[in-house]
Amino acid sequence: MNTDSRLMRLAAAAMLLSVVPAVAAAQVTMSGRVTAESGAPLSNASVSIPELRLGAQTNAEGRYNFTVPASSATGQNVTVTVRRLGYLVTSVQARLTGNQVITDFKLTPVAAELAGVVITGLGVEREKSTLGTAQQELSSRQLNQTKTQNIINSIQGKVSGVTITGSGTQGGSNRILLRGANSISGNNSPLFIVDGVPASNDSRGTTQGGGWDYGSAISDINPEDIASMTVLKGPNAAALYGSRAANGVILLTTKKGSASGGRMRTEISSTYTWDHPSILSTYQNLYGQGSGGQFQYIDGSGGGNQDNNDQSFGPRLDGRDHGCTFIPKTQTYDMSVPCTQFTSPTVGAPWIAHPDNVESFFNTGHTVSNTIAMSGGTDRVNARISFGSDQVAGYIPNNTFHKTNGALNATVRVTNKLSADASLQYARNTGQNRPGVGYTQSITESFIWFGRQVDLAALKAGYFNGLTAAANNGPGGREYNWNYSFHNNPYWIQYSNPFFDARDRFIGSVSANYNIMQGLVATLHTGSDIYRFNIDQRYAPGDVRQGTIVDAKYYGGFRFINDYNNESGTDGSLKLNRDLGSHLKLNALMGAATRRPNFNTTTTQTGGLTVPDIYNVSNAAIPPTLSQQIQRRRTDSFYGSAAVTINNWWTVEGTARNDWSSTLPSQNNSYFYPSVNTSIVLTDAVPSLRGSILTFAKVRGSVAQVGSDADPYLLRTTYTGLSTKFNGLPQFTLGDILANGDLKPEITHSTEFGLELGMLDSRLTFDGSYYDKYTRNQIFNAPVSSTTGFSTKSINAGKITNKGIDFLLGVTPVQREDFTWNASFNYGHNKSNLAELAPGVSTLLLGSLFSARVEARLDRPYGALMGNNWARDSVTGKLMTSGGLPYAATTAKNHYFGTVQPDWTGGLSNTLTYKGLRLYGLLDFHRGGKIASITNMWGTFTGVLASTITGRDQDWDKPGIVVDGIDKNTGKPNTINVDAETYYQCRAYNCGQVIEDWIYDASYTKLREMTLSFDVPRSFASRLNLSAITIGLTGRNLKTWTKVPNIDPEFSYQTGNVQGIESMVLPNAKGWGLNVRITQ
Amino acid sequence: MINRKTLKVAVGVALTLAAFGCNNDKLTAINQNPNNPEAVPPGPLFTDAARVGVARWFGNAYDLRTTEWISQQLSEIQYMDEDRYVRVHASDTEGTFNGAYNSELKDLTQIINSEEANNDPGAYGPALALRTWGFSYLTNSWGDIPYFNALKGDSVGSTLAPAYDKQDAIYADFFAVLDKAAKDLGGASNTLGTADPIYGGSPAKWQKFANSLRARLALQLINVNPTLAATQLTAAINGPGGLILTNADNAQITYPGDGVYNNPWADALGARDDWRVSNRLTDLMNANSDPRLAIYAQPTTAGTYQGSPNGVSVTKAATLFGVTSRPGTIFYKGKTSYGPTFGGAGARLPTFILSAAEMNFILAEAAQRGIAGLNAGQAAGYYNAGITASLQQWSAVAPTAAQQISAAQIAAYLAQPGVAYKGGTAGLVQIAEQKWIALFTDGGQAWADWRRTCRPATVVAGADATLNEVPRRLEYSTTETTVNAESVAAAVANQGTDVLTTRVYWDKSPTAAPTYVTGCGVKNGT
Repeated sequence: MNTDSRLMRLAAAAMLLSVVPAVAAAQVTMSGRVTAESGAPLSNASVSIPELRLGAQTNAEGRYNFTVPASSATGQNVTVTVRRLGYLVTSVQARLTGNQVITDFKLTPVAAELAGVVITGLGVEREKSTLGTAQQELSSRQLNQTKTQNIINSIQGKVSGVTITGSGTQGGSNRILLRGANSISGNNSPLFIVDGVPASNDSRGTTQGGGWDYGSAISDINPEDIASMTVLKGPNAAALYGSRAANGVILLTTKKGSASGGRMRTEISSTYTWDHPSILSTYQNLYGQGSGGQFQYIDGSGGGNQDNNDQSFGPRLDGRDHGCTFIPKTQTYDMSVPCTQFTSPTVGAPWIAHPDNVESFFNTGHTVSNTIAMSGGTDRVNARISFGSDQVAGYIPNNTFHKTNGALNATVRVTNKLSADASLQYARNTGQNRPGVGYTQSITESFIWFGRQVDLAALKAGYFNGLTAAANNGPGGREYNWNYSFHNNPYWIQYSNPFFDARDRFIGSVSANYNIMQGLVATLHTGSDIYRFNIDQRYAPGDVRQGTIVDAKYYGGFRFINDYNNESGTDGSLKLNRDLGSHLKLNALMGAATRRPNFNTTTTQTGGLTVPDIYNVSNAAIPPTLSQQIQRRRTDSFYGSAAVTINNWWTVEGTARNDWSSTLPSQNNSYFYPSVNTSIVLTDAVPSLRGSILTFAKVRGSVAQVGSDADPYLLRTTYTGLSTKFNGLPQFTLGDILANGDLKPEITHSTEFGLELGMLDSRLTFDGSYYDKYTRNQIFNAPVSSTTGFSTKSINAGKITNKGIDFLLGVTPVQREDFTWNASFNYGHNKSNLAELAPGVSTLLLGSLFSARVEARLDRPYGALMGNNWARDSVTGKLMTSGGLPYAATTAKNHYFGTVQPDWTGGLSNTLTYKGLRLYGLLDFHRGGKIASITNMWGTFTGVLASTITGRDQDWDKPGIVVDGIDKNTGKPNTINVDAETYYQCRAYNCGQVIEDWIYDASYTKLREMTLSFDVPRSFASRLNLSAITIGLTGRNLKTWTKVPNIDPEFSYQTGNVQGIESMVLPNAKGWGLNVRITQ
Repeated sequence: MINRKTLKVAVGVALTLAAFGCNNDKLTAINQNPNNPEAVPPGPLFTDAARVGVARWFGNAYDLRTTEWISQQLSEIQYMDEDRYVRVHASDTEGTFNGAYNSELKDLTQIINSEEANNDPGAYGPALALRTWGFSYLTNSWGDIPYFNALKGDSVGSTLAPAYDKQDAIYADFFAVLDKAAKDLGGASNTLGTADPIYGGSPAKWQKFANSLRARLALQLINVNPTLAATQLTAAINGPGGLILTNADNAQITYPGDGVYNNPWADALGARDDWRVSNRLTDLMNANSDPRLAIYAQPTTAGTYQGSPNGVSVTKAATLFGVTSRPGTIFYKGKTSYGPTFGGAGARLPTFILSAAEMNFILAEAAQRGIAGLNAGQAAGYYNAGITASLQQWSAVAPTAAQQISAAQIAAYLAQPGVAYKGGTAGLVQIAEQKWIALFTDGGQAWADWRRTCRPATVVAGADATLNEVPRRLEYSTTETTVNAESVAAAVANQGTDVLTTRVYWDKSPTAAPTYVTGCGVKNGT
């Protein structure tokens, strides 16, 4: 919090400094520059002082200049207004004093704009009407409607054709896909570019089953520093970025300073949010811990009857303090046996429910975010400096996050011909005690394998009062807990096992532009994305979570991970932008680039310490396991593009690139990929089309190809060494993957058509695309018979096709002087098919968890959800039963349940503006696709979910359940009654591991964002020497509508290619916030 | 117009970048793997292969998730899935099958290929013997397996989908390979040295290993091909270097117990309280007051050694949880994650790979059958020597002095009516049962011998087992049935349906073995 108060003081000082004394004068020259939020100049904008009927248009560089005669300039305040097609009308107050008033404008695009200058590939600024490819821009305002820690969350529901899924934890990672997955087993994430520098979005997410989610690296960027985001959706738009752009590109342009006549402009944004867990499972509170109606605590590790059982098929929670043991013979409870519990191990205690025992574990999370930015400049030099700070106290106890950001952007016009830009983003992003996720390490897991009578308050008090296992006859060396065989006290996990992670990062670049002549600029650009990421996991003795590294014999353990990433790149280019005669415009580019990623990671781990509490390599009792991986690669490229615009309505563009990659064999390491696109503005080509209804119409089309290289070191089979010595002896083993010295580049092809329409004076806009793309020659490790000595071989094979449409529809139903209603709807539908796989291979397992498998299966959409289904009667469709229980049709786990990919995704936003009041809401849609829920599966198995009461409404085994099925032996309806425990455990797992019951339609609709904001009247603001104050009430993830019970289907247990399996996800945050934005 | 000088600069910059771009050698050099070498000496390969291979058959999924419950030396007490044969199917055992090939067998093949070329039998001899030992567990468990064309990667002329070879052909080659190994090791120099964690590289001891393994494999064929069994047993007994007949020659790996490399049983048993010794084992040993019981098992709270029955329901098992014997403290490394502290030395407990006890029992059986130049009169001697070797072997690692077995105890044990050698068919039963007891911790070999002898006869499918009889083989790996489907289909056509109850080549019944009982392994309802 110290940082915050310092920032505030700094802000106050900045404000005082920037008060410019008023000077009386005569004639006043009004000048300045109008740019888009990206900093791109806007020509043909009209700047005026309506009350004086004075004004001018901006030139190609976005500059305007007009004079207010002395007679009109009396030192009064006036309103300067800018209007431009495709942007919101913007006004500022100016005082007509001095000789010169410099006012710069940054315009916010309207929701679905069709015109205006946009940033496209390689930072080239283009009129949107000349683009032949699909792209969508988001302004700073659109991104920052509500506060998120990760800029990817800020896009949710706002861009068509984008699918985003997460692991659900606060600070966790997410997966973003543009128009479906292209690669079978490779990276399908789009390429992120920050001010021309490829920025890593690597995540150290979770592994199969569980672990800790360390977030996505792109979350280091402070969303408040982003001026605009451009999403280049297909490979078509991205051919110029090379290989990694095959999955699309997300261009982030940071905010820059602007000429302000030396006056400093200060912006402060402060947000406070309250977060709550959104979706919690619905639990039953009728039956407590145990099995077969029995439970008796003796030592929590098997000493009593069902003592260490972690299921809730025990006695009824009716307040009894004796009789927790059921005698099958007499069908009665043995009243002589006390109902001992972990809180009362010797004397019977009331056997009652604690209905809040999951919910009460979670806190209210708090987030304090502050950003202060100062900018200003003259004609020659301008700069913007910003500081950001996020302090997050998560809703999981003892889990916090801190992020500190600093950014500097500067432009210097050294001479009239030479200018230089520098951009630097600094971030320190830390997390403390992130909760485990997935099955094996998750807190949620211990609430599913749980006794419903467990008093969480007692566990909490026990932990904080320093009680140990001795207090309830538990085993020595363990914390106070309810079960010692399989679980740790959740408070002990969060407080006694300190985990810490920190990423220190710089993304910086410097570029020089030399104006060789009018319209011809040479640019040299160099930059790096550098980070160091440390993960420090400390395990206390007594950790028994599945997959724990701790060896019970010693005193805890640790795992330290150090990543170093440095991706540097340099490119030189020539840009030509000029009119060739009055009908022809040429926008051309050629350049060369080199990219040199370098990644280095080391892990140091031991499961045993000599002395407790000293988590240092020197204290390792078990020799630490050390591992190290170095990855170096390089790509050199030549690229070029040329766009010719004829008569301002027909544009034809071609791009070409050749890469030389270090990761491919020398005979295949040079690959060329071209693209061509065109756009025709129909309403300009045939002016008669234009009328009061149709104001703008454009068609576009493109064909592109992108080549991709391999991961490093796939060309030769090598031996793997082990850092640990066996009796002092070194060990090596020959690698498991057969290398392939003949790898070729992967090739993605894409064809795309688009239609853009503006109707009713652009109050109705449409921007839609149809695309058809495929990736062939995919590089992946195809399984081979292990009897060859190797489990996979690196090959080029396989083909995934993706076809789909996406569109953005903008409507302004009401547009009055004081009141505007804007609505925007986006939609994306993608259909994928795995058309080819390796020879002789019909499926590739992407991942599996318990009975659910996600596969890349031939002739199925990518991400096929597979598993066992129930055997059914062919006539009635009813379940077949055997001994009263259903059974699996086969045990091959190869029944296809559907794809994990949605049918369509979309977003609907509405903005109502009345004077300074603004109400905004965003609904996020996800329709179709399947999800397998492991939470529901085990929650049914263990009997903790409310849905497991049927069949034991009277007593633990009464009335029981008669499955509505056909008996296998008699061929007649089943009449056998089974008890609830047997029944639910059968359905969940025991009867052939059938996943069918746990597969759901993953559709959901979310009220993703809601904002009510208020612009404080300018008259009041100017009294404080401020130009604008906006106060907002924001809400995020406020409501979810879904048919999936107990979980939020938005989240998967990991964020790689294995999607559609949910496992004990933590409930995601539902947050309310207050935001104040001050501009001076 | 364009300033020429500027243009030159710009073009110059572009060309410089281009020059970097076209330097292919430099680019290729970047892809030289800085983490892993492309060639390594045989020593570190052998160390890893021996450690991984032994752990695979003693303690990992094959042993503590499969064969300990099939051989019924241990039983499950919490999750009954393996014991009820729910989780012993293809997807549960494929890791063992696939891993054996793509780990230690492949690495041993690298040694054999390079060191045969270098004419260094001190390195390739042990590798041949150890590879054959690994292959023998594979074929004994799965039957027909890829052998002659296996482990060749994608080298010229090889296939990525190797054919499955018939078990009799594989056995024939085992004998030939072991014959070659024993011969070539004669006079070989010790090149592996300490890199060999089993015998310190001793060529003489590896000769004994090769001959002893040959004897074990020969006897495995006694039912199906008694002539070949007798011939090979003769050759093994007369092989250069002799057999492992004293505990000093036992093939074993001693673990450093440093927390990274512990005895695999110690790691598994200390993590979960899921296992008990089987009542098949305790019943047999209690009958003769076997002094090894105190080492094999822990007493119950009642102070007795009471095993838990195999393959019962979870509900039934829960009632037995607190009243049945855990495996002996010797198999625990100290504190367990679920509470109790046991012993402490288990991390360093050796794994017994091939023992003098087993070899003496093999000779006893050969003598009783009157083959390989031995006669029935010699059977008692070998039988007593086998029991003595086993008692001494376990006594040597007993955690406390009280558990050590004195010479007097051995004599007393041997003198018991249930132990004293009876000769004839009764003698063969005694040999089989004593061998089964001695093979404790070697679930795979105990299972192989049980299938051959059907002793102990108490080993039958558990009351709640999902099969009516004890499995006779394992199912082929699901990777194999997808990526090597044609070869698997051919193997199935030769061997029979790919299920747990199909019998492998040497497992024919009824057999010539006098110990065979009708309804071997079939559930009897108890």
